[in-house]
Amino acid sequence: MTPPGPKSISQVALMDAVSGAGVPAEFWQPITDKNLADWEAHWRPAIQEQLVLLSDAGVERHLWPQSREWNWRKKHNALGSSLSNESAAVMAAGVTQGMMIVDLDFRARIEEQARQHMVYIDFLEVAPWNRRTLTGGAPRYVGIGTLMIGKAIQRSLELGFKGRIGLHSLPQSNDYYANQCGMRDLGSDANYNKLRYFEMTPDMAERFLMRGERSGR
Amino acid sequence: MSKRTMTLNLSPEEMDVLEALSLKKDLSKTLLLRQALRLYQRVEERLERGETLFFEDEAKKQKAEIMML
Repeated sequence: MTPPGPKSISQVALMDAVSGAGVPAEFWQPITDKNLADWEAHWRPAIQEQLVLLSDAGVERHLWPQSREWNWRKKHNALGSSLSNESAAVMAAGVTQGMMIVDLDFRARIEEQARQHMVYIDFLEVAPWNRRTLTGGAPRYVGIGTLMIGKAIQRSLELGFKGRIGLHSLPQSNDYYANQCGMRDLGSDANYNKLRYFEMTPDMAERFLMRGERSGR
Repeated sequence: MSKRTMTLNLSPEEMDVLEALSLKKDLSKTLLLRQALRLYQRVEERLERGETLFFEDEAKKQKAEIMML
């Protein structure tokens, strides 16, 4: 029997990092077995190869990709039939290029929007071949993380949450969320492995989406 | 996403609460009820796993268990 496909597919675009050309892609909701199979068959071996290169190059372990131990099948299975969690994947060239899980039951922390509903990004990861690595690896496609952040904002708008989103960032992504996404850094969270917590207000979300429109994202 | 429609009958008091919460949270009644359903499902799942729901007032050092039916 064919496993169920996504309930929703929307057409999106990524950018080829070398040529700068647009690459047709799809945004799938929710994550499907095909995405999890890609994680097992393509992501995990690629991550393992990167770890070998990092190890051989003598790069300290705290600088290795911090999502290397994430198990997407376990994360996906833990969602069950919860209405509070939603998942999505980005597909291009027939392979999963990124995955995300969000939680719709979180409340905002920034004072001006404290306790208002928001979309919390539980997990967001791009495929290992789409990352810049410390051993000189260059991404194949760019724009996947930004695309998924934009989709989280759109979901927040659909739910009446005005574009509010929040997340805890792995240390290697702090700069991306603060400076490229324009999220507010609320500092280290003692209740969440001391990861820094970032949040976006409706104004920040609007600016993020406008930047995307201007850049054709 | 396909949607199904239902008619919901509320007492005036229930409607007052729904309207007040909609206003407070700046959400439509439909969106607010969807959020309530998500939350209710989550609470139910956690309780079924044997967990307990508390409200805590850190300043007063008070912790009260919420009794769920």
